[in-house]
Amino acid sequence: MKTIRKLTDISTVEGQLIEYDNNDLPDLPLDIEKRPYAPPSEQQKKDFCCDMLDGVSVLNIPRPKNPLEEEELVNKFLSGLKKLFEKENNWSFVNMLEGSMDCCAQCNSCSNACHLYEMSGKNVMYRPNFRSEILRRIYHQYVKKEPFAKLRYGDFPLNWKTVVRLGELAYRCNLCRRCAQVCPIGVDNGLIARELRKIFSQEMGFAPKEIHLKGTELQQQRGSSTGMTPDIVKENVEFIDEDYTEITGVGIETPFDKKGADILLIHNAGEVMAWPENIASFSLIFNAAGLNWTMSSKMLGYDGVNYGVFYDDAQTARIALQHFQAAKELGVKKIVIGECGHASKALNVIADRIIPYEMQVPREICYVTLNNIIKEGRLKLDPSRNNFPVTLHDPCNIVRLMGIVEPQREVLRAIAPQFREMPCHGVDNYCCGGGSGFAIMGRNNINVWRSNITGRKKMWQISEAFKDCLGPETKKYICAPCSNCKGQIRDILEENDLYTKNMFAYGGLVELIVNAMTDVTPGFIKWEAEEE
Amino acid sequence: MITIFYLLGYLALLGFIVTAFLKIRSYMTKSPSHIRWELYPIPHEGKRAQYGGSYMEDVNWWEHKHEANHMGDLIFLIREILFLEATYHHNRSLWYRTYPFHVGLYFLMGGAIILIFEAILRMFGMSPECGFLWFVNGIIEIISLLGFFCLLGGGIGLIARRLTDEGLRMFSTAEHFISIGLFALFGLTGLITWLTNDSFSTLASNFVYNALTFNFESLGSGGFVLHMLIGYFLMILIPVSFMSHILLKYFLYHDIRWEDVATCTSKKRQDAINEILQYKVTWAAPHINPKGEDKTWVQVATSGYPCQDGDKKDA
Repeated sequence: MKTIRKLTDISTVEGQLIEYDNNDLPDLPLDIEKRPYAPPSEQQKKDFCCDMLDGVSVLNIPRPKNPLEEEELVNKFLSGLKKLFEKENNWSFVNMLEGSMDCCAQCNSCSNACHLYEMSGKNVMYRPNFRSEILRRIYHQYVKKEPFAKLRYGDFPLNWKTVVRLGELAYRCNLCRRCAQVCPIGVDNGLIARELRKIFSQEMGFAPKEIHLKGTELQQQRGSSTGMTPDIVKENVEFIDEDYTEITGVGIETPFDKKGADILLIHNAGEVMAWPENIASFSLIFNAAGLNWTMSSKMLGYDGVNYGVFYDDAQTARIALQHFQAAKELGVKKIVIGECGHASKALNVIADRIIPYEMQVPREICYVTLNNIIKEGRLKLDPSRNNFPVTLHDPCNIVRLMGIVEPQREVLRAIAPQFREMPCHGVDNYCCGGGSGFAIMGRNNINVWRSNITGRKKMWQISEAFKDCLGPETKKYICAPCSNCKGQIRDILEENDLYTKNMFAYGGLVELIVNAMTDVTPGFIKWEAEEE
Repeated sequence: MITIFYLLGYLALLGFIVTAFLKIRSYMTKSPSHIRWELYPIPHEGKRAQYGGSYMEDVNWWEHKHEANHMGDLIFLIREILFLEATYHHNRSLWYRTYPFHVGLYFLMGGAIILIFEAILRMFGMSPECGFLWFVNGIIEIISLLGFFCLLGGGIGLIARRLTDEGLRMFSTAEHFISIGLFALFGLTGLITWLTNDSFSTLASNFVYNALTFNFESLGSGGFVLHMLIGYFLMILIPVSFMSHILLKYFLYHDIRWEDVATCTSKKRQDAINEILQYKVTWAAPHINPKGEDKTWVQVATSGYPCQDGDKKDA
């Protein structure tokens, strides 16, 4: 097995930087397979830098063909790094970044908090401060050109391999910021990882295709990162209304483009394609509660996704602006974002300081709206319909990064008699493993990495929450009220046949509410294992 | 020679003040407004702080006045400074070493403040032989001895940990060893001076009094001079090394982690955003500025997308 001996290995080692033994990955009470990586083909290796880090390739940077191209790669990287520290180019993060670059004492508290480091068998490359410290040394020596930099930190070699590996390393982090939460000084390695992603996207033009070309770009071309145009989304939602009217026995009609409505509901459009029951549940609940609400069919107005927050400030701002414009045109009083963590944070918190106030519309997290509906007694509910063990996954973006902790729990306490917390819940939660864009990536061994490492801690949490009832006898529900988190959890459940082995179902909060509504035909939530 | 010793002291103090000021000013003026990047729990959220909740948990939160309980921030900060709680909870093995190190520093900094007050009293005519100052000097004797022991013990512990812990060793630089080593040496020379002189407090008191009255008199202890010269060097080193966290920790907590001011409640923020969006952007990727035009952030956010030429080099 290949391991790192010193930080400069990133610039000097030939071939793959690390290889880890699957036997080093911690075992779990759940039967989660430790899968091997598929080696890239010779052609892939010839064309792309896909074999230089850990067997996974997210950025797939084209391999430089000659010394000139190698030099160009380094120069572009340094140019981008310099811009990160300029007020005009990076006003949004520059002082935060500088603080994190200057103050780290290298105490390694961050490592203890990181699920990637722990679940990789404590591989040094997955320490949150690994990439940060390398970037820090390059910055001091090559950008700031400090006179004593070599003396203080040692001479750090910089070449195209360093650059390519740093780009990949920026995508070995879920951006969950659990490391920042425990840092005694306030250093934020999650922020540094994201800033590094920005150099590659905003300066060098490298970004994972799922979040850029098929993400933010497609969303701005067609209206949604799913590719659905306004007409198609309306049509699909109409089908969903029809299907679920039949399934629930309650007439569902989703309003579109209703001027002067109180609420504009913006879903993650992925729900329309992958989890139509979530769309139907929202419509059913909002209608039953008597809310004056609407969806929008304006470009981007029906897809709350904003993958820009994972890698690019310009894309973040462009998409957020169009979300606000959709709301302004309808004249709604507030925007409610559906069950999507990153979309909630993007529009509620991040957009708050990048879009002029005059163009903004008040925003609310759907957990808050749903809790209020239940507290006001607007729905007829029978909690005994949910009398099976339920646990709650906390999406990092909504919980640790927005402080929305209790509303979703109040709902669960009201409707799920067997609700139980995971260990390390609330703001101490762990990422699902799909955070910062990984949930929608599956190529080049990313799916294996998600299963082996990033999603492993979440599976440990789930197994601990249900430790009294693991196995196929008891039906269990994993409530994951976030689209990307659901995708990540679904993939691991499916790949490891955990539906059958453990009688798991997963889904959002709204499905549980609908399952408890007395007007609805019983059995709204389905267990895959029962269906088979 | 002794005059140079005192002059170096003034220079070190001046150097510390200037570099610390520049460091803090650089942080504060770097951007009129950074993005919201809060991290929960935030201690000024009142009862919600106990579980990490925010004002955004309320329905129509923008219709209510957000009452931030800054006593919560203050209490958190005092507890963090006094007990290093974050390290205690999240890195216990480090805490056993870093806590005595920091407590040693607190003792010595506290002693220095007391000595300044004592020197002022002496300048107003109070005799160093009087009962009150005898009592004060007794306190100085005790806290300086404790401070030296803690600093030396903690410093050695921290260095040993960096040398023996494989994970830490890889990340440790010459600067880490030199900085911590100098603090430990400061503790060691202080301890030797304390043990080999009749009264450390008299030496320290006379030094501060002489410095404040520009009376460049010999103190009669080479050990004390060496001890203070190391102290001078540390004063210069703190703001320009990783130890600048002493200066920036306040901002990293208050201005980033806990800064949750919503733009709708702050005219200052609203104005800052409009100013910032006029900044020129020179990011070079094709999707940001396809034609390489002179653009501001407003123009980038409202034009030039989607990427027309589709030449973004990802695969």
